[in-house]
Amino acid sequence: MGLILSLGVGWFVFPQVLYSEKQQPFNFSHPAHVENAGMSCEDCHFFRDDGSYAGYPTLEKCAECHAAPQTDNPDEAKFVAEYVEKGKEVPWLTYQYQPDNVFFSHIAHNAFDCTDCHPDVAKMDKTPTYYQNRLSGYSKQTMKMWQCERCHAENGVSNACFVCHK
Amino acid sequence: MEFKEFTIKWGMVVDLDKCTGCGACMVACQAENNIAPISKYENFDASNKLRTLTWLLVYKMENGKPFPEHEVAYLPRPCMQCEHPACVPVCPVVATDKNEEGGIVSQIYPRCIGCRYCMAACPYHSRYFNWWDPQFPEGMDKTLTPFTSARPRGVVEKCTFCHHRWNAAKERARKEGVDPMNLPQDWYQPACVSACPAGAITFGDFNNAEHTVGELSKSQYSRRLLAKLHLNPQVYYMSKRPWVLAMLDNYRAGDAHGAEGGQHG
Amino acid sequence: MGVNRRRFIMFVAGAVAGTLATPIPFKLADDSSIWTQNWPWIPRLQYGGIAHVPMISKLGAPAPVNVTTAGGRPCAVTGNAKNPLSQGGMGALAPAEVQLRYGPARIKGPLKKAGDSFSPLSWEEAEALLLEKMKAAKGKVAAVCGDETGTAAEVLSGLVAGVGSSAFCLMPGESHVAARAWNRLMQGKGQPGYDLENADCVLAIGADLFESFGTPVRNAKALAASRPAGADSKTTWIYAGPVRTRTAAVCDQYIPVAPGAGAAFALGLAAQLIQMGAAAEAQGFEAFRALVTSAYAPAKIKDATGVAPEAFAALAKTLASAKRPLVVAGSVMGRGGAAADVVAGLCLNLLLGNLGKPGGLRAIPEIAPVVTGGLTRSQMLKADLVDFLMQVDAGKLPAPEVLLVHEANPAYALPEPETLGKALAKVPFKVSFSPFMDETAAMCDLILPNTLSLERFEDLITPYGSSFASYTMAAPVAAPACDAKSTADVVLGLAKTLGVDLGFATFEDVLAARVAALAESGGFMSDTVMPWQAIADGSAPEGGDLAEGLGTGTPWVSVAQAEQGGLTFPVQVLEKALPGTPDAAFPFSLVPLALENVGSAKVATPPSNLTTIRDDELKASSLCLAMCGQTAAKAGVAGGDLVKVASARGEIMALVDIDEAVMPGAVAAPLGLGHTAFDVYSRGKGANVCKVLTVSAEPVTGLPVWDSSKVKIAKS
Repeated sequence: MGLILSLGVGWFVFPQVLYSEKQQPFNFSHPAHVENAGMSCEDCHFFRDDGSYAGYPTLEKCAECHAAPQTDNPDEAKFVAEYVEKGKEVPWLTYQYQPDNVFFSHIAHNAFDCTDCHPDVAKMDKTPTYYQNRLSGYSKQTMKMWQCERCHAENGVSNACFVCHK
Repeated sequence: MEFKEFTIKWGMVVDLDKCTGCGACMVACQAENNIAPISKYENFDASNKLRTLTWLLVYKMENGKPFPEHEVAYLPRPCMQCEHPACVPVCPVVATDKNEEGGIVSQIYPRCIGCRYCMAACPYHSRYFNWWDPQFPEGMDKTLTPFTSARPRGVVEKCTFCHHRWNAAKERARKEGVDPMNLPQDWYQPACVSACPAGAITFGDFNNAEHTVGELSKSQYSRRLLAKLHLNPQVYYMSKRPWVLAMLDNYRAGDAHGAEGGQHG
Repeated sequence: MGVNRRRFIMFVAGAVAGTLATPIPFKLADDSSIWTQNWPWIPRLQYGGIAHVPMISKLGAPAPVNVTTAGGRPCAVTGNAKNPLSQGGMGALAPAEVQLRYGPARIKGPLKKAGDSFSPLSWEEAEALLLEKMKAAKGKVAAVCGDETGTAAEVLSGLVAGVGSSAFCLMPGESHVAARAWNRLMQGKGQPGYDLENADCVLAIGADLFESFGTPVRNAKALAASRPAGADSKTTWIYAGPVRTRTAAVCDQYIPVAPGAGAAFALGLAAQLIQMGAAAEAQGFEAFRALVTSAYAPAKIKDATGVAPEAFAALAKTLASAKRPLVVAGSVMGRGGAAADVVAGLCLNLLLGNLGKPGGLRAIPEIAPVVTGGLTRSQMLKADLVDFLMQVDAGKLPAPEVLLVHEANPAYALPEPETLGKALAKVPFKVSFSPFMDETAAMCDLILPNTLSLERFEDLITPYGSSFASYTMAAPVAAPACDAKSTADVVLGLAKTLGVDLGFATFEDVLAARVAALAESGGFMSDTVMPWQAIADGSAPEGGDLAEGLGTGTPWVSVAQAEQGGLTFPVQVLEKALPGTPDAAFPFSLVPLALENVGSAKVATPPSNLTTIRDDELKASSLCLAMCGQTAAKAGVAGGDLVKVASARGEIMALVDIDEAVMPGAVAAPLGLGHTAFDVYSRGKGANVCKVLTVSAEPVTGLPVWDSSKVKIAKS
């Protein structure tokens, strides 16, 4: 009885309870931008001249088109009203969040597909729910150190501490 | 304990005949690496050097003679990134290691348990313990750089040769199609090196023939600090003043190798 | 089904076994360990694209630098590799430009004195109050400005002149003494500059070249270039003075010269050079020759200077045999020096025949003002703040009704603060534009906080000591971190409402006019050719896109020189250049050291700089007073003793530090400590050495000198 109960709690209830569900500040549709507006991935997600990676586009970049609402989409209206007009950067939730002590170089991993690590949001009309670990504060999808290390080991890349830590 | 040999060996050659002791390197280092100012629990008193955090510290050396023969030299002391570090084998949790190309001794704050064995082992006093949580005056945390993670109370920290600048240089190299293992010398320079108005510090890869440090380290004027301990620092000091060179290997006044004795500040 | 003991134990055992077979314990252990790694009170980093944006650091010696921004947020400071005044290096105060935006002493918005404290008010109210007081003052207005190299000073001087006052004073600096020596006494034209880069033998008399003199970063870069690591040195650097300063520590040779004997030493050297056949074609040379060979013959001044005749002979030989020798004379503390010291140094350069030559003394022409009614720098340097305040204190001059204090902290950084403080207190309405709660702001009636350098339009016009004319400009890097306004803009607005026509509505317009004027005046953008290369080649390059270059931190540069006419050896001022007879009541000479890492006349020690102060400079909250063992024995004190250092004008407490770098008879201590305002990082630490500095009148000019004060030392 105790065994069954605890197994049930441990395998089904605990994972539910451990994560809080969060939504992005507003819905963002990649297909709407790529298919309808004809943008390419690199318009927003590109390597800067110094080789660092511009993960999210800056507000300035978004405002190039969205200085005023372009459609009657309520999410766009929310974006313009709450962020563009107030000059506030959007606090996107990062599914692949890593803490300050981790250094990750996108350009060093350029040979991989983005979706090897990231959710395939390019095909999603609705931004997925973000699951935040109530205890550690990290995202459910945050890659753990053993995952990084395994891939490094498999590819013959150094697992020295300072390769990834700062 | 055996340590690896690396293809790249980053290091410094510090020309003590140029250092004026102005302190620009220390301040540049603190800003770059998010080192918090002295804590309120120390009454904001940074004159007690046992409680300050100075990854780079400028020591004053004196030849011990009376005026006017008295002479002064200044010695900036980062982490020596020893080839045979004394701090690494004593770490019980492998929070510090020397295992990466470049030979920079790493220090991982979340892994550190604060036992301070490494501090006891390091003869250069290059390691510092966070006696307190970092305290920045209100709002000043907005000036932190994105380069180095903030450290909590209870962990040890030290100079990393601004390792993040190497990471940045490698990213730039990949972007520009340059071999990240063969960077031009000026692509990766720690904050102290670039800040120094007197150009006293030369930084580069000892193993790269196109970098100047290898040649400089072999100069007749170059020595390593406390060379007799055989920790083989990756930091060399050069001076044309014999008393300065003699003092570099003099860890105790009156020692068999000792010169005239000195005073650390 | 009852629950008995057996069933209960089975349940618990099952639960434990079951739990161990789930991720609960492992995941919880892992997550809680991560939880402990990220305490909420440990600051998190903020990310963004990294950029290096040009700005000008003015907390210490003015110098061009770059601000590192992450996502537009300023977070660090580096040198500006494109600018010959920086060449990538920076001074120890530059990083604080970013951090002090959030310094605890930063004034968050306009303040009005209310009893013993301040109450906030809006900018509209504050500016209206200032306007009312300015109108009521009817021209009885004075201004103190600490921004000698900025166009903001010109704007402020235009306002002061526009309301009919001539009381515009710059904070005292090395340039005052040089202007007095070169322009007034020697009838020279332009601003003296020293071509250290091309010299092969540099003698610094007093001037702490690499720490505080003129352009310390550029000077140190010249040292670096002359001493390639591991190779032979190209330049011989010699330092002469009473303390083996930071400059002396790296010089090839150090010559101890008694405090206050800098001029006598230089004249002794001149006598030696003349004896070896040196001469110069300038008015008064014969009288000069007669004076130095009689009154300053090395054998005669042996005791006064502490330099043996053989040392004079050897040094003269070194200078005479150098291809491009250069002498730089100044005060160790960088202000308050005697004109005679600088005159003697300049005369040596004339004797060495290096005026206008590569590696020599250069006269830098002045940039014409653009603001209507604005003063040129040489006009500004004619006024002497200490003299002005002493006359106000003595009642010889009426106290102004309104005093405007811009980028300056006269209540702290001037000598005899008690006397001069009384003069300041006589002013009924004092206004500070300080961004920080400094000693002067604390005694003001109204504070209109200025923005910091990186939050405003800023420029840098040929700093003193530079061997070339230059202009560097910078646009704001970030918005003000608090409710502050650029003082230059506030002054322009005030002028407009007062009906004073300065010719411009905004400071940005003033700078645009300055750039347009420079574009018409020759010179070049020094992105490829460094000015000293042009000097060495004897070329005068022209061209370059000013607007574009200035936007990236590259300066406009000109190597043109001011034409001389009527250059004179001013014998009169040199007649009494020997140090006075020792005063039995005050037997020791105090040598204040201007150390940039400790702070400046403008700003107290920033939080990050505290660790750079050595424990033989400041110990806990006590200032350390350096003296050699011989001096200590004479004073009857020992290392570690707490002593009272007293002059005729004031006293401070200090701990004795035995330091053989200080000449017998002299004691040395750093300036910049002992603040009573600012913040917890600087307040109450050590003592303000200015308190014991005594002002004396210089022969001939009658102007104040305070860099060689006499003190007595007593164990307390």
